[in-house]
Amino acid sequence: VVAAALLASAVAQSGPGHWADQPFAVAAPAAVGTTNPAPIDTFVAAGARAVGLALAPPAARATWLRRVALDLTGLPPTPAEVAAFVADGDPGASRRAVDHLLARPAAAERWTQWWLDLARYADSQGYEKDDLRPQMWRWRDWVLDAFARDLPFDRFTIEQLAGDLLPDATDETRLATAFHRQTMTNTEGGTDDEEFRTAALVDRVDTTMSVWMAATIGCAQCHDHKYDPLSQKEFFQVYAFFDQTADADRPDDAPTLRVPTRAQQARTKVLERERTELRARRQVDDATLQAWSEAQLARQQTFAAAAVQAGTWHVLGPVAAADFHTAHVTPFAPERDGVRLDGEQEGQTWRAEPDWVDGKVHGWRGDTSAFYLHRTFVAAGEAEAVLALGSDDALKVWWNGAELLAKEIGRPAAPAQELVPVVVRAGRNEVLLKVTNGGWPGGFCFELRATALAETATAALGPWATRDDTSREFLRAEYLATAPELAAVRERLAAVEAELVQNRGPAVPVLQELPPPARRTTRVHLRGNFLNPGEVVTPATPACWPPLPTDAPRDRLGFARWLVSADNPRTARVVANRIWSELFGAGLVTTLEDFGRQGEAPSHPALLDWLAGEFVRSGWSLRQLLRTIVLSEAYGRSTAAAQAMREIDPDNRWLARGPSFRLAAETLRDQALAVSGLLAPQVGGPSVMPPQPAGIWRQLYSGARWQDATGDDRHRRSLYTFWRRTSPHPAMLVLDAQSREACVLRRQRTNTPLQALVLWNDPQFHEAAQALAVNLVTATDGADDGDRVRWLWRQCLLREPSPTELQRLTALVAAERSHFAAEPAAAEALAGAGAELAAWTVAAGVVLNLDEFVTKP
Amino acid sequence: VNASPDRRSFLRHAAAALCGGTLAAPRAADGSGRVRQVPARARSVIWLHMEGAPPTLDMFDRKPELDRWHGRKCPDAFLQRERFAFIKGHPLLLGHPHGWLRARNGIEVCELFPHLAQQLDGVTLVRSMVTDQFNHAPAELLLLSGAPRPGRPSFGGWLSFGLGSENGDLPAFVVMLSGGNQPSAGSALWGAGFLPSVHQGCEFRSAGDPVLYLQDPAGYDRARRARALAALGDLDREHEAAVGDPETTTRIAQRELAYRMQQSVPEAVDLRQEPAEVHALYGTKPGETSLANNCLLARRLVERGVRCVQLFDSGWDIHGTGPHDDLLTQFPRKAAELDRALAALLIDLQRRGLLDETLVVWGGEFGRTPMNEARDGSTFLGRDHHPHCYSMLLAGAGTARGAVVGATDEFGYRTTETPIHVHDLQATVLHLLGLDHERLTWRFQGRDFRLTDVHGRVRRELLA
Repeated sequence: VVAAALLASAVAQSGPGHWADQPFAVAAPAAVGTTNPAPIDTFVAAGARAVGLALAPPAARATWLRRVALDLTGLPPTPAEVAAFVADGDPGASRRAVDHLLARPAAAERWTQWWLDLARYADSQGYEKDDLRPQMWRWRDWVLDAFARDLPFDRFTIEQLAGDLLPDATDETRLATAFHRQTMTNTEGGTDDEEFRTAALVDRVDTTMSVWMAATIGCAQCHDHKYDPLSQKEFFQVYAFFDQTADADRPDDAPTLRVPTRAQQARTKVLERERTELRARRQVDDATLQAWSEAQLARQQTFAAAAVQAGTWHVLGPVAAADFHTAHVTPFAPERDGVRLDGEQEGQTWRAEPDWVDGKVHGWRGDTSAFYLHRTFVAAGEAEAVLALGSDDALKVWWNGAELLAKEIGRPAAPAQELVPVVVRAGRNEVLLKVTNGGWPGGFCFELRATALAETATAALGPWATRDDTSREFLRAEYLATAPELAAVRERLAAVEAELVQNRGPAVPVLQELPPPARRTTRVHLRGNFLNPGEVVTPATPACWPPLPTDAPRDRLGFARWLVSADNPRTARVVANRIWSELFGAGLVTTLEDFGRQGEAPSHPALLDWLAGEFVRSGWSLRQLLRTIVLSEAYGRSTAAAQAMREIDPDNRWLARGPSFRLAAETLRDQALAVSGLLAPQVGGPSVMPPQPAGIWRQLYSGARWQDATGDDRHRRSLYTFWRRTSPHPAMLVLDAQSREACVLRRQRTNTPLQALVLWNDPQFHEAAQALAVNLVTATDGADDGDRVRWLWRQCLLREPSPTELQRLTALVAAERSHFAAEPAAAEALAGAGAELAAWTVAAGVVLNLDEFVTKP
Repeated sequence: VNASPDRRSFLRHAAAALCGGTLAAPRAADGSGRVRQVPARARSVIWLHMEGAPPTLDMFDRKPELDRWHGRKCPDAFLQRERFAFIKGHPLLLGHPHGWLRARNGIEVCELFPHLAQQLDGVTLVRSMVTDQFNHAPAELLLLSGAPRPGRPSFGGWLSFGLGSENGDLPAFVVMLSGGNQPSAGSALWGAGFLPSVHQGCEFRSAGDPVLYLQDPAGYDRARRARALAALGDLDREHEAAVGDPETTTRIAQRELAYRMQQSVPEAVDLRQEPAEVHALYGTKPGETSLANNCLLARRLVERGVRCVQLFDSGWDIHGTGPHDDLLTQFPRKAAELDRALAALLIDLQRRGLLDETLVVWGGEFGRTPMNEARDGSTFLGRDHHPHCYSMLLAGAGTARGAVVGATDEFGYRTTETPIHVHDLQATVLHLLGLDHERLTWRFQGRDFRLTDVHGRVRRELLA
């Protein structure tokens, strides 16, 4: 009640303008007698004292280090780090520990994880097919890099919203704009691209205004905002800033940009050198070329002399089978009994196709069916030749009764997909083709050629002496492309070229402004419906906020600069509040997503202003903001609290005790991997697929498959887990991760039985218990049970066990040891070993499930 | 397990928190908590969603004029200001490809549904359903979450939030899939949206663990798990005594619940317990993935107090682009799977006295055009997506038995009587379950959200 009254008075004091948009208050309250009156603690002490709360003492040093390491890096400290820190009596030890933690790659990973929820990052397009975007990690790595170098938040903002429009734009700043290409793309058949382009734009406006301004502007998409001074027209004026990008819900996510990583750039240099060497080795001297060319010419002349006369095509089919493979491999009558053009085969007669033209694709329909094609040739003499064939889909070829090719493949037909050498004999020859169609239309293409030479080379053939330079170059090119003696060089060169292409970096969807003649006219969508256009609008910021400077460009760049300008105090308040919430479990404004009139007022308005002001004064340094907060007494307090204190302030809004709540989904998994020694340290790179139960990915019309990673990729940080919007990793979902179909401003924190099942039974957590037990038994070889329990406690909880804890776990181990001794098969199944290791694996599983282990200390 | 009187009463409350319940869920934003807001007729709901949209025109809405004009160009009026998903040019009308039966109450039903025809006198047939969306994913989301894009709580999520579970050992909201594919809109159709995630549908799977992560790792048996749990509980209670965080108490309780669930869920889904006569009625075979198995499982679950069972059956997208979606081949296959299973479910619920308190809803996300789609000149028969009218069935708890609601024009292109928008259906279903669709709300990003968005009204025409 007291708390509510204080909040009410905070609102009343906010005066005529709304509090969130006022300039920062500068006054700090007088110190109230704490030993270290840092500004944060001065504000907090005043608030707690006003509601009659006693401030909790500082947490134990080991607890503090575990808390701050989990918060800043998402990983626990090692027992050695804790021991060193506890032994370090220097007053600057805490600050040094924080600086070390913030400088780690793990810190960049942890804050990237935070940003990915806000950015609605995913590795897929969303909607029905939810096709994969396996290239998006490249943008995630941009974020990692930004946090690793503490890119000032104002610049971080501008690059992501308008990095393509900066006067000093680089490929890296253009890559940053993929922030707003995290919107979903709908490739469902029959959808209207403009409808979903519009949906993506609305999402960009909502996300931008929510993430930076905590403004619920989405309410104004259909009608004027009910509570905040935002009109529908103003919504579309903001929309107009974003309406000029080239992307338009296309299946290929165009426009895209390739930006190689630093590792890729280095590799490219190496490969380019090798390519130069290989090209130098791929040469032919003139004498060899001449001999080869004349042999080809002779072959062509022999073929011409044979004067091959082709007969009419006959076709039999479709001959249907249960499935594609069966249709391809089953020998139906023509291949079993020989072709009988005048009789019935498979209950069908052969049809003549006199109009079919060589070199053209001829088509038909018939799912999972075979088609037989037959034709005769009469030649005046013998000649070598080549069948140039195309097929949709699978193909078998018989020439004069001999099977020369069988290929089960799915593709649309095109000329010369297969080149099959044959000998045309004098007199009658015959060809039989079997083309098997999987689904949709099928077809084939046929040509009988003298040689396998490309058309350009065929045209260039002639007596060597009469060949001009151009003809010789065509012939040389053909030789280099086909000569068997150069095969090894060609193969390596192709591999190098392919890797060079790979090394261009993945094609990441980015924002790209339309050229002026192609610009769109933005209109209000009446009742939010894009098919119902109203008044024309131009880019403008809503009237309730400071105006754009008159000389600012009316585009995304002008808008992004406005968001982080000195005239707009709201963004700094919103970001400082989010960071506070990450560390304390709730914001000073609990409605992180709504700083409007329907949102909660700040519990400590002056503290929020001071923090936001410090944030701006530090040059928008997130690292400095984090350092300031975690070094406060408020952050470092013990979480233990008497019942009476909890009753006064159950949600800890007045911060008299330390912050405590269940760890986030990703941190829970990462911590288990870390303490069990399984965590793979590699930073960045394509997303990975740690094991998940079979059958989670079942999208209609999608061939994408989840393949459980092997090796280190099983145990990378959860940040790198492949995120498919319609079916994210189920263990993460159970632990309150969100699907990322839209920007998630505040994760729920629930406490459910399904979570208990994940922590016990997810093979990943069980693997961690197994590895932890193995490490324990190895590290404490010969030690007694008590020492082993102490090791477990130090390794996982970073403290010594109490006597009762020691006794309880020792008792469990003793019991399990004797049970397993009687059930060796169970021990083998559980730990792949005997009773001793199995008993400790059960104990390790218990420790990994302890409330203290899964909770921020 | 230490069980002081206080602790026992605590655990009773905690039981409701499994996949939706009192403890983990905050109170409704209007302060009503989870008390019913209007008198309830239904205790549970079984919603059978036919993914892809069945051609209900060929099932429950016979149009002699369509047969008469079969093969002729459709009226120009059908094409004005219309967007189709696939139809191009001027399409031809497509008559009914199958014959008709007459149910006891005189309703004509497609001959492919002889078992269902026997049950129609106990069912409300709505011939005038209307939606706004004509692509699968948006239409499914509109029907089952009230908005065409992902992010809102699903129908079952709202029910779990509003009413909780009646069985502490089973989830409040269970989802089961058949037909081989996940629905177009994916798990957003049973998501919690912005509600606490405990309200998301719990998918019961037909292969592997019925609930993900239900099975202990190899080497654990019930006794070993219980011993480990007891140690874990003792250690946590000591920690709780030192720190005093109530979340610890909840965590201990949820773990014990999870342990019970490891037994209750496999028991609930064990179809081998059913007598041969029941298997004969449904056409079920234990161990298979089928709509019939899921119908029988749905009955077992509502019998045990599960609030909402949502079945998705894929394969109903009858476009006529090949044998896999042809009116003459695929539709009869799907009809055979549905006919006996749905009829059996209604009979079974009825004879167990469950139909009075269980609402059964059957339907798809939109209708299909009276015109043949003929995509790319296909010679197979099929119909394109059509949002203007389609049929759904309601049965049980408080619905009008044997009634036909609404009507469509002579070609089945638009409604002519009593259009029922999907938002109206949502409002009415909530009403039957004792919830006022305007008061079941959640504040999110500055606005009170509800299943029916800003639309919907309770339609008395559907009620007994």
